Amino acid sequence: MMPGPDVEGEGWQEFLGDLKQLAEAQGRAEVSRLATEYLAQPEASLGDMQQQLVRLQKACEGRPAPPAALAQDPELVRDFIMESREHLQNIERSMLAIENDPSDVESIHGTFRAFHTIKGLAGFLEFSVIQEVAHEVETLLDMARNHQIELTGSTVDVILASADHLNQQLMPLEKTLLGEPAPEAPDPEELLARIRGILRGDKAAPEAAAPEQISAPVVTTVEATATPFPLNDEQPAPVAKVDSLAVEAPKAPAAPAAIVPAPPAPVEVRPVEAKAPSASPAVTAQKAPAGNTAQAPSGGSMSSVKVDTGKLDYLVDMVGELVIAQSLVRHNPDLVALKNPSLMRTISQLGRITDEVQKTAMSMRMVPLETLFQKMIRLVRDLSRKAGKQIEMDIAGEDTELDRNIVEALADPLMHMVRNSIDHGIETSTQRAATDKPPVAKVKLHAAHQAGYIMITVGDDGRGMDRKKILAKARERGLVENGDNLSDNDVFNLIFEPGFSTAEQVTDISGRGVGMDVVKRQIQKLRGRIEIVSVLGKGTEFTLKVPLTLAIIDGLIVGVGEERYIVPIFAIKEMLRPTPGTLSTVEGRAEIALIRGRVLPVVRLYRRFGVEPKSRDPEQSLIIIAEARGRDFCLVVDDLIGKQEVVIKSLGDGIRPVPGIAGGAILGDGRVGLILDMNGVFSADDGANRAA
Amino acid sequence: MEAMTAAASNKIPVPMAGDDRAGKYLAFQLGKEEYAIRVLKVREIIGVQEITTVPQTPDYIRGVFNLRGKVIPVVDLQRKFGFATTENNARTCIVVVEVASGGRVMLMGILVDAVSEVRNIAAGDIEDTPDFGRDVSVPYLLGVAKTKGQVNLLLDIDSALQTHEVEVLSSMAVS
Repeated sequence: MMPGPDVEGEGWQEFLGDLKQLAEAQGRAEVSRLATEYLAQPEASLGDMQQQLVRLQKACEGRPAPPAALAQDPELVRDFIMESREHLQNIERSMLAIENDPSDVESIHGTFRAFHTIKGLAGFLEFSVIQEVAHEVETLLDMARNHQIELTGSTVDVILASADHLNQQLMPLEKTLLGEPAPEAPDPEELLARIRGILRGDKAAPEAAAPEQISAPVVTTVEATATPFPLNDEQPAPVAKVDSLAVEAPKAPAAPAAIVPAPPAPVEVRPVEAKAPSASPAVTAQKAPAGNTAQAPSGGSMSSVKVDTGKLDYLVDMVGELVIAQSLVRHNPDLVALKNPSLMRTISQLGRITDEVQKTAMSMRMVPLETLFQKMIRLVRDLSRKAGKQIEMDIAGEDTELDRNIVEALADPLMHMVRNSIDHGIETSTQRAATDKPPVAKVKLHAAHQAGYIMITVGDDGRGMDRKKILAKARERGLVENGDNLSDNDVFNLIFEPGFSTAEQVTDISGRGVGMDVVKRQIQKLRGRIEIVSVLGKGTEFTLKVPLTLAIIDGLIVGVGEERYIVPIFAIKEMLRPTPGTLSTVEGRAEIALIRGRVLPVVRLYRRFGVEPKSRDPEQSLIIIAEARGRDFCLVVDDLIGKQEVVIKSLGDGIRPVPGIAGGAILGDGRVGLILDMNGVFSADDGANRAA
Repeated sequence: MEAMTAAASNKIPVPMAGDDRAGKYLAFQLGKEEYAIRVLKVREIIGVQEITTVPQTPDYIRGVFNLRGKVIPVVDLQRKFGFATTENNARTCIVVVEVASGGRVMLMGILVDAVSEVRNIAAGDIEDTPDFGRDVSVPYLLGVAKTKGQVNLLLDIDSALQTHEVEVLSSMAVS
């Protein structure tokens, strides 16, 4: 440390004056600027002075050397990164809550505590930049707590920017931990200057940027881009960055928990809470905040354990094997022939336990959608400011749980859709005023369970999709010939074609026509579906239907000759035994079925796969009506053998991917059954001559 | 490779002292011929399992089977090499081998008529694959070994299982 000055009044002034002269003599502009700045505030408190001193000292010394803690105790640093990320996420959530309701004292306290914790930890580990930023924000929040400043527009902006900045500060630390080349940590100066500006009482500024002037913060952002500091330039980016990383994370082999940047990585296991009748007061005390995370950002996670996601995936895999092995034992003909009641009892007891273990293992991988929705709220906030549109979020079902992998895979599609809603769906305020719509637009984000699936609805009350416009564009692109007789649903589905966009102008939010086809593909990869409901002038609603988990599917086992195939139940709409006259041929080649007035194409699985069926007579076989590529078709199989939950396995690299086969699964008798991929089964027959 | 073809075309067998082909081999029968693959490539040997045929695959891919929860493809080398296939009998078994492909190791099963023994093959016993003339190409052979008056065809299992599958692998988009 430099020799400290006498902190009382004049000594401080004198010290600063000397320092300023010295700095000017040595040509250190930054130091001299700071000193001048501090000279101008003689009423600074003791705490402020200390902070200023630290900063001055740093400005004198240049950049601080990398903290020793990183080299000494990587475990501590890893924990710090994880914990900070969690806090930062809570901060984001709280800030958005505060923005909606500035009187939300609990959220302010929560945010304050979160920054405080980060500051404390960073101080302990000697990450001085993080400590400093956290400290400044803490001061800001303290003032807000004491009603000295109001948390509105630009102040919230700054706090959110600080959270983003801290996140960026964590990146190089993380990279160093992993032994990868660390990127340069971003420079905090610009941000600190902004915070201090507010702290110094530019109270007028936040007031001026109040709601009606939505574009005000955007202007500042643009100006800031010209400065040498990259911070503001990157401001809109973090959301996108975090997302793309989160999606890629599962591919990274080493230390997955450490790579995933956002806290969804460590799955929180809350085993005890629900079941153990808690006698201890400690457990009871923690129950309340845990159920109410939105309100209490810090705390509430004490009764959970963090588990490496790799271990968890392995556990779920192994439990899958356990279930299969258990079923092999139960169906073993020799054991069954014993007809020993006590053995049978034990075996069925084993079965129940296995089921329970499987359920628990699966539930451990389940995470609430909350973090994902959180990202969307932030995205909507940022985009609405950028686009100058006033938007209100309508969120429901954020506590719906589903497989962590699916949550991660949903991030990109959801982001695209929300972007599209804001950019294309929602009109500008002038346009809204011209109709009799309320000036504040609505973006809807709902999630709910429905029969083993999660339905996620992304909607807006904007202009809706224009059937004519889409058709015109589709004709222009040669996607359809005429298209007048297409159903609304078919027309809307055209937007999922690659390169399709009806937006008149390309903005930096969206409009380049990349996106919706990616969305569709991603959702299909998750074995989900998208449905569109749109009313011109009223708005558009996309509904995503995705399974709860990727590892296991419900399958119907069907037989064709000697072979058995697994048909995913999600693809099946109906099953029936055909009557005479159900099937007929077209031009002696293609086969169609007439089912309750609908004409559907027919695929005979035995022909498709070249196996010998039990019977070629359709009346002896079974018709499955399934959906592929948004159209229904009939699949002819010999018979239905049973229903089983199966763990999906790849057929291995040694076999080329077979169109129509999604993978393999071990059946109850230990044989491998092939899982059908309805799109592939259907398309080789019929897809080639489809318009698209 | 160049050295080998050059040697073969000169019809002078050149057993090199430090021949990296020497080592332990697992000998097995395919039809009437005796083959051998490096022991290091062998993961395990198991009896014939229930094999599920996979439609629209080349006929030499017999299908897939369940190896303790893993789905493993089985290749019938006789079909691949174009011999008449022998019926499965009590000695027929599946040799599970590790095949390197594109930096990854995958498991594949090969169907063999009988497993004989593990043989130590010295460099001096190995000769380069003779040139059978233009019409016969034997790209999968590392060489020919003579031990105790018996001829073993040393099989390069990586390329035997791959040459046709390489483009398949590289064209694999998903999963």
